[in-house]
Amino acid sequence: MKTFEEKWTAWVDGELSGKELAEFEASLPDKPAAEAERTAVKKLGALLRRELVAPALSNEEFFSHQLRERIARENAEQMGRFGAAETARGWDWRPVRRMLWAGSASIAIFLALAVFVMRDKNPAGQSQYLTQILNARVDPVVSPNATISMFQSKDQRVTVLWTEGLQSLPADYAAK
Amino acid sequence: MQKEATLAQPDVSELDLVQRCQAGDTEAFDELVRRYRTRVFGMIQNMVHSEQDAWDLAQDSFLKAWRSIRRFRGRSSFYTWIYRIVMNVTIDWLRKKQIKGGGSEFDDAVQLRQVDPASRTVPRAEALPHQRMERSEIRARIDSAIAQLSPEHRAVILMKEIEGLQYHEIAETLGCSIGTVMSRLFYARKKLQNLLKDLYENV
Repeated sequence: MKTFEEKWTAWVDGELSGKELAEFEASLPDKPAAEAERTAVKKLGALLRRELVAPALSNEEFFSHQLRERIARENAEQMGRFGAAETARGWDWRPVRRMLWAGSASIAIFLALAVFVMRDKNPAGQSQYLTQILNARVDPVVSPNATISMFQSKDQRVTVLWTEGLQSLPADYAAK
Repeated sequence: MQKEATLAQPDVSELDLVQRCQAGDTEAFDELVRRYRTRVFGMIQNMVHSEQDAWDLAQDSFLKAWRSIRRFRGRSSFYTWIYRIVMNVTIDWLRKKQIKGGGSEFDDAVQLRQVDPASRTVPRAEALPHQRMERSEIRARIDSAIAQLSPEHRAVILMKEIEGLQYHEIAETLGCSIGTVMSRLFYARKKLQNLLKDLYENV
């Protein structure tokens, strides 16, 4: 749905036709006044076209020359930026790769040392005995204060079962 | 040299030149500039009323066109496409100038009935003795009247009356609907009629 302004503009510019033109002209309350207004718009357009003649560029070739220089300068800057970006990309990536390698190497060294240290700190090697508390195997009703400990020396291949407060030996501990 | 002579021939199509530009051929772009520089400069000068500013804005417009030439898909004519860039650059500049200047240069809120008839404030052309001075005065009157329009209204009236563009071409250039173009044209004409009535009735 066109507004009045749109229809008026189209009518002034001769862009209305057929049914649309007939309907619009029929809707005009004062046709002669509208025609006079249309003539005024035409005169205004003619005045603008006559007076606003595009002024010639005072130095066309210099205009083009200046533009060529600006484009060349911009292209050169872009190339420079591209080169810098490539270099920067190199500087960005190399340390990352270095860091990855350094990180991997550090982890490997750490794991190797950890294995070595853990092996050296093997309780069987440093402390002579491996102790296991076997309270769970003792019947608390029969021997409420009993504790059973097991000592083991792997070097000497000796295992000692140490019991305290034991009232009776569980059946499966009995010597066979 | 031979290439320049070939490019400068009018039968080398714009599309061909554009495609060469898109491949990075600055000489092809130079030819496009040569074809449109006067019209672009004239259009901008009618918008901003300053030769130096028009020069700079025309330069900026063409530079922007070069930067974005690869995005030109040929859906519209190159002429419409470059005008769109020109209008964006010029309207942006006018808007910034308006903000810097306190926004008093043009005011869309001014109702048509509030505009004083220009004949009461400006000396009539026939009062000037010299023919050249008369033309200069008329030009100054028109420039002054156009300067009172918003950038969008200026663009519409100049593209329609001076450049002879169709509604749809103006709409495409300004990125608005055809209805908006027609509406802006209506108000721009009304305002100029009020400001320049004595000129177009008497001259």
